[in-house]
Amino acid sequence: MEKPTLITNGKRLDGRDQNTLRPIKISVNPVKNAAGSAYIEWGNNKIVSAVYGPREALPKHTQDPDKAVIKCRYTMAPFSSLEEHGRPGMNRRAIEISKVTKEVFENVILRDLFPGNEISIFVEVLQSDGGTRAAGITCASVALAASGIPMRDMPYAVSVGKAEDTLILDLDKIEDNYSSADMPIAINPRTQEINLLQMDGELTPDDVHRGIEMVIKAGEVITKAQREALLAPYEMTSEKYKASI
Amino acid sequence: MRRLVLPGDIIAEKPLRLDHTIVEEGKTCSTVIGIFDEEKNSFIPLEGLWYPTPGEKIIGIVEEAKLNTDLIDINAPYKGLIISKFSETSLAGGDIIEATVKELDKTGTIILSRPRVLFGGKVLVIKPSKVPRLLGKQDTMIRQIIEKTKSSISVGMNGLVWIKGGDSDMATKAILRIQDESHVPGLTERISQMLEGKE
Repeated sequence: MEKPTLITNGKRLDGRDQNTLRPIKISVNPVKNAAGSAYIEWGNNKIVSAVYGPREALPKHTQDPDKAVIKCRYTMAPFSSLEEHGRPGMNRRAIEISKVTKEVFENVILRDLFPGNEISIFVEVLQSDGGTRAAGITCASVALAASGIPMRDMPYAVSVGKAEDTLILDLDKIEDNYSSADMPIAINPRTQEINLLQMDGELTPDDVHRGIEMVIKAGEVITKAQREALLAPYEMTSEKYKASI
Repeated sequence: MRRLVLPGDIIAEKPLRLDHTIVEEGKTCSTVIGIFDEEKNSFIPLEGLWYPTPGEKIIGIVEEAKLNTDLIDINAPYKGLIISKFSETSLAGGDIIEATVKELDKTGTIILSRPRVLFGGKVLVIKPSKVPRLLGKQDTMIRQIIEKTKSSISVGMNGLVWIKGGDSDMATKAILRIQDESHVPGLTERISQMLEGKE
C-alpha cells in the first residue's frame, strides 16, 4: 500500500491536532472475581485489565524472599485487529509488551510489603487501534489502584511519534504503521519519573525532549480520566445522600 | 476538611507517621484510595489489604487438617497455621473457625491460637478495609445489627463475617450496605432506619 499523507493543513487523518489525544473513557471493576479491574476505551482501543493477588507465588522457584514478584500477561484477542492475529495467546510481541508492562509496575508497587508473593496483572486487548501498550498500562494502573495494592504513584502512558516532520501525540494504527517514529512513554505523574521509554524509527535528541514534554502535558488529561473513574463510585453514593465525603 | 485521595497524592507537605502512606522527599503521600482528614491528621483507607497484627480476631476456613498442624484459609496472602499441640479443639477440613492471631512467622506464616469451630451459618466476604466501620466505635454498629436482627454474627478482621440464625438476610443486606456507603457520614442513622423497616 502506498504511504498516505498523514497530516494535511495541520490536521491528522482523524481530524485531530498534533497535540490532541483520542477520547478516553475508563470504568472500574467490571471483573467481579478479580481483586481490582478496569476497562478502558481509548479511541477505538478497548482493553480490560484485571489484578489478582497478592497471593502465594507459584511455581515456588519464582518466589523472591525479599519482595513480591509481579507477573504480567498482555494478550491481544484473535479478533482484535484488522490484520489476522492468528493463534490466541503469547507471541513474540506479547511477551515483549508483558515484560515492559511488568517493569513499569515493579517501580511503582510497594513490593517489599509482600515477600514471597506474586501480584498478577492481566491486560486483554479486545479491540486495537494503535497504542495498546500505552492504553494497557493506563488501564492496569487504574485496576491496581482499585484493588487496594499500595502504590507510590499511578502511572499513565501515551505514545508520541513523528509524521511529515511534525511531532504527533497518541498515534493510531495507520499513523503507527506509516509514521517515521513511534515512542511510547510511561510516566509517574507526581514525580515525573519515566518508567517506560521505547522507540521505533528515527528521532533527533531534540525531538525526544520535546516529545517527553508533550507527553507530560497530555498526562494531565489522562490522569484526570483515571481519577474520575476511580472516584466515581464514591462520589455517586455521596451524591445519593446529598452528603459530603 | 475531609477529602478523597488516590495512590500517589500528596496529603501533607510535612512528614507524617500514618498507616497506608509513604514519605518521599519530606512529603507524605498516600498509597491507596482513602480519605484524609486534615484537621485530625488521620487517614482512612477505602480500599486495601489486611495486614495481620497479633491479637486480632479472624474468621477462617480449614483447608487442610494434618496430624500436627492445621492449615487455615484466612483470605490473606499467607496461610494461617494452628499447631495442634497447643490447641484442644480438633478440626476437620471445611470447618469454619474463629481464632486469634498469635504471632507472625518470619517466613510470613500467620500462627493462630484459640480456635473455636462455628457450626452452621454462612460466611460473607467483605473488603478488609471496611471492617472497622462495620464494627463501629466500641462495636456499636455491629451490636445494633445483632440486636435488631437477632442473628449470631462474628466479624473477623480479615474481612470474613460469619452469620447464623435470626433475620440473616437483613443482616447480610445491612453489612453489604455498610461496605458500600462507609465513606458517607450519617451511616449509623441510615442502618438503624433500614433495620427498623422504615426505609
